Formats: sequence, C-alpha cells, structure tokens
Amino acid sequence: MEAAVFRLEGVTKRYGDLVTLDNVSLDVGVNEYVSFLGPSGSGKTTLLRVIAGFETPDSGRVFFEGRDITYLPAHERGIGFVFQNFALFPHLTVIKNVGFGLTHGKTPLAAAEVDRRAREMIAMVGLAGMEDRGVDQISGGQRQRVALARTLAMEPKLVLLDEPLGALDANLRGRMRNELRAIRERLGVTFLHVTGSENEALAMGDRVVVLDRGRIIQSGTADQVYDTPASPDVAHYLNRFNLFEGVLSAGHFTGAFGTVRVPSARGSDRDIYAVRYDRMRVRSALAPADGPALPATFVASEYLGSSIMNFFETGDGQVVELEHHLSLGAPDTYEARKDYILTWDPDQAIVFGREAL
Amino acid sequence: MSDMTASVPRKDNSTRLLLLPGVIWMMLFLITPILMIVYVSFWTQTTFNISPDPTLASWKQFFSSDTYIGSLWTTMRIWLIVLAMTFIVGYPTALFVGLLVKSKTLSTILLVICVIPFWTSFLIRVLAWRPMLGKEGAINILLLKAGIIQQPIEVLLFTELSVIIGMTQIYCVFMVGPIAFMLARIDRNIIEAARDLGAGFGRIFWKIIFPLSMPGVVVGAIFVSVMVLGEFATSGALSGRKVNLLGNIIVTQVGSLKWAMASVVGVILTVVMGVVIAGFLRIVDLKREL
Repeated sequence: MEAAVFRLEGVTKRYGDLVTLDNVSLDVGVNEYVSFLGPSGSGKTTLLRVIAGFETPDSGRVFFEGRDITYLPAHERGIGFVFQNFALFPHLTVIKNVGFGLTHGKTPLAAAEVDRRAREMIAMVGLAGMEDRGVDQISGGQRQRVALARTLAMEPKLVLLDEPLGALDANLRGRMRNELRAIRERLGVTFLHVTGSENEALAMGDRVVVLDRGRIIQSGTADQVYDTPASPDVAHYLNRFNLFEGVLSAGHFTGAFGTVRVPSARGSDRDIYAVRYDRMRVRSALAPADGPALPATFVASEYLGSSIMNFFETGDGQVVELEHHLSLGAPDTYEARKDYILTWDPDQAIVFGREAL
Repeated sequence: MSDMTASVPRKDNSTRLLLLPGVIWMMLFLITPILMIVYVSFWTQTTFNISPDPTLASWKQFFSSDTYIGSLWTTMRIWLIVLAMTFIVGYPTALFVGLLVKSKTLSTILLVICVIPFWTSFLIRVLAWRPMLGKEGAINILLLKAGIIQQPIEVLLFTELSVIIGMTQIYCVFMVGPIAFMLARIDRNIIEAARDLGAGFGRIFWKIIFPLSMPGVVVGAIFVSVMVLGEFATSGALSGRKVNLLGNIIVTQVGSLKWAMASVVGVILTVVMGVVIAGFLRIVDLKREL
C-alpha cells in the first residue's frame, strides 16, 4: 500500500482475562474511508480508543504518519474523535463548542481567527445561523454535525467515528451518511468509522474491516466482503446470508436440503453452506425435485419498499429468509403454515469447509 | 367537547386539593410565625413585661448598640470565612469522590464516610473539638512531643479560630454532597472529547468541569450559608462566649425574656439569609440544571 498514513502492528489489549484486541494489524492509506464492522463486544470501540489514545495497548505498536504514537497522550496525536453520544459541552453554545479546541488546545489561536474558522466549519456542516444556540436547543442530527465540526475544526489527518449515526433515526442516518462522505471527500482526510450496522459499513466504507472477538477476520472493499465473505462468521455479520450446517465431503455438501455438488469451497474450521437471501427461490411442495430442495413452512413476510422479505421455518426450527426484489416483478404470495420447497442455483452458493476446494 | 370543558374545572379543583395540606402547613408554621416575629419586634418591652403597643425602640436600640452591630459583622465575617473554608476543603474532596473515583460503589462508600460524623449528636461533635484544640489538647500534645513548639498554642480554643475550625468540619459535608453529585453527572466522554481537542487538565477543569459543577457549588453554598448564619451552638461551645453571633444574641435575649429584641434580631437574620440565597440563585439558573 502506498503511503500508509496509519498502521497498527500486533495490537493486543486485555481487561483481566478478557482479550478485547488480539494481535490486530492494519494499514490505512491517505484519504481512505474504513468501516469497522462487528457485533458488540468484538473490540471495535476498544480499537478506536487505542488509536485515539484513550487506552494504551498491552502489546503492539500504533504508527501515525510514520511516528510511533503508542504511548503519546490523546491530545498530542492530531487524531480527531467523534463520540457515539456526541459528547458536546452542554454549557456552551454551538460556536463555543466548535471553537473549543482552537481556543483551548495545544496552540491557542487569536479570538478573531477562532471565530472565523469556527464559523467556516459550522457553515460547512450546514448549521450557519445556529452559532449562538445552546447545544440543548438543537436536534439530534444538528448535534451530530456540531460534534463533527468540532472535531474537523482541529484539521486532523485522521478522524475516528464511534458509531456516529447510531443515535439518529433511520431517515437522518441516511442523510448523514451521504454528508459524512461528501465532507470527507472535500477535506481529503482519512475516516475510520466503527459501526454495528452492516448496511452502514457496506455503504460508507471504501474498505470494510470485519472484527470478531478482538480479531480482524476480513478486510476488503465493500463488494469483496459482500460477495466473498472470508468465513461463516463474516457471512453471519453481513446479515445477508442463510447459513446451513452439514457435511462437505468429496465435492458434495450434505445438509437438510439433500446432497448438492459444490464447485468450490473456502477453508474454514467448520462446514457451512451459505446462500444469499435474494438468491433463494420458492417451489411448490408438489413440484418434482431438482437440485437443492429444502422443505420449509411459510411464516410471514415483511414489506421493505423496494423488496419483500419472506420468512420460512425449516423442520429443525431454523428461520430462513428470502428476499424478493420488486423490480423483478410482483411477488408470489404464500400461505401461512403451508409447506414449500426452497431451492437455489448451487453455483451461487458460498461454501465453507474443512476441505477447501 | 362539552365533556372536556366540564372536566377542566374538576381537574383544577383536584390540583388545588393536592396543594392544600402543604399550603396549610406553610401558613401555620412558616408564614404566620414570620409575620408574628415582625409584629413582636415592634412591641414595647419593659424589664419584666411586654405589651403590644407599637414602638421602634428595639430597632433603634439594635442599630445604636456597638455590641449588636458588632455581632452582625461577626456573623457576616464568620459566614464568609466558613463558606470559603468549606469550599476550599470540600471542592477537592468532591472532585475526588465524584469524578476521579471511577467505581460507583467506592464513590458511594466515600460519600457515606463523609456522612458518618452525623450519626453522633451535634453537641458531641462540637464538644469533641475541646479535647482536640485545648491548651492540653491532642494537637498541642502532638506538636510539643514532636518538638515543633515549646509552648502550647493557646489561640486554638475559645477563639474565633476554633469556631471556624469547628463549623468548617461540621458543614463541609453539605458542600461536598451537592458538588460531588453534579460532578458525578458529568459525562466522561465530554472530558475525553476536551482532551482529544488538545486541552490540558487545567483548561478542562476551568472551562468544562468547574462550570458544569456550579449548580452543585451554589446548592452547597446555600446549605452552608443558611446553617452558618443561624448558628449559635458551635460559637457557644467553642468560643468561650467571646464570639457572639446573631444566633447567640437571640438565645440570650429569649433566655432573659426580651422577646422584642429577639424578634428584631430574628427579622434581621431572616432578611440577611433571604438576600444571600437570592444572590446565590442569581449565579445559576437552578430550574434549568435540576
């Protein structure tokens, strides 16, 4: 990678017996947008806090712009941090919040310069005219912008965002997503964004880094991760795949849906067969069997606007989700508690197995 | 629609009914006594008698007597010194208990320890200072044994100093409590955010922590002020009658059945307290903070 602005080398962090970060290594380039995706407890927030300097790793090194900053205090790192709950100063106005770092930071600026730069940042995040409001007099989305402006006013080379959209409602989240990206492109700063939402990670990141139990289990572009998840866990966190257990042996996978030919399989510690929600088809229980055939009863469906999610239940109680894009035509309707056969094209399945093919 | 309009007055009546016990209580035991004191302060006092003939004699006597005016100033002086002392001692304590101690359990335990002295009676707490501060008290013995002093320090007890020491100790916890409460409410992320923006500890304290703890300081200051301004027991027990606060004057006047003079002092004390509390409330808008 050319010009890594930021590098982690074997970062490990323990709380007592609990290993929250396990030998994490990562390179991040200039002007990149990296999303960290992982379930809660996967260590993603701890990783961000280590990078910011709020925590010190037990072992490993953190490099930033070629300098070892592992033991450098937070305020000397030049790394901006946007908190999940925004952490605005409740007793200060919008402009005082944004100007705080410029006035009280390591190299305080003259009042006029602080005022000019704070106003500029406020205008950039679209809050011009709200400079003198108290931060408890503005909405959640506006608070989010103030938090961002406050961090960006310091002109950091690297901005860390800890689930910055988590506290916003769905509508606002979509809008802020676009704006975050636009702001980043304008400033040419590297963003590291932690999120528990697979949608957000896939939508925002030039690169998606999937964390699980303190380890990086996959790192790649959004479509790489989406199309070729590296492990059953990644497929699980993406929340886009039905995962089936079974046995992979001699190029064939045997599961609840019968035995299916497997063209290729990825190495893993267990045998898992994954089919994307939108790759699954429904057949009548009476139609002749051909290819994979999973008997299941229809439970319910959910209308999502551009698509419909259908939920089926297999004999052993597993819920199978099936997405039908409405652009592909009107959806079939299914009868509740009635038996159907679910099938798919075996070439589109992703198979993990102890014997890689 | 007619149902709604009909229900409004009924609801109004029930809210008034809820207020009634409180209003009656305050009328009987707060408003009436205060009006009574104001009234009695204008009564005519003779040596063994008091009659409701209106006169300004007691008021004139108060403002023309060096003893009374002196005790007003002593009260103000001791109040300000004790207020400052409880703040100086209490704020760092509150900072430690409310902010620096990370474990909630430990900070609760520490607050309870601050309150433990209140499990003994007020009088014992005050009197316990005598064997501490006396000429042959613990402090003098220790200093003598350590060879720091050759003669026992006599100003420790039965002086203004001993009254200040005693009051500071007793009322400090009323300062610590509200401040620690406000500090504990500060979101730790805010402090980390300030740190991330490059502010050092001093800046974070003066620009973030201290302003956010102000409501606690004001509430603590009101608690301490109200109690110190009305004090008579600590000064009675630790000053050897040398320090006369307005409270002590009321006690002696009532003791010699001089109700009119006691009332004058009572009115003055109430006015001083009212002004002090109003002043503190101007600093912080408590309605917004709590």
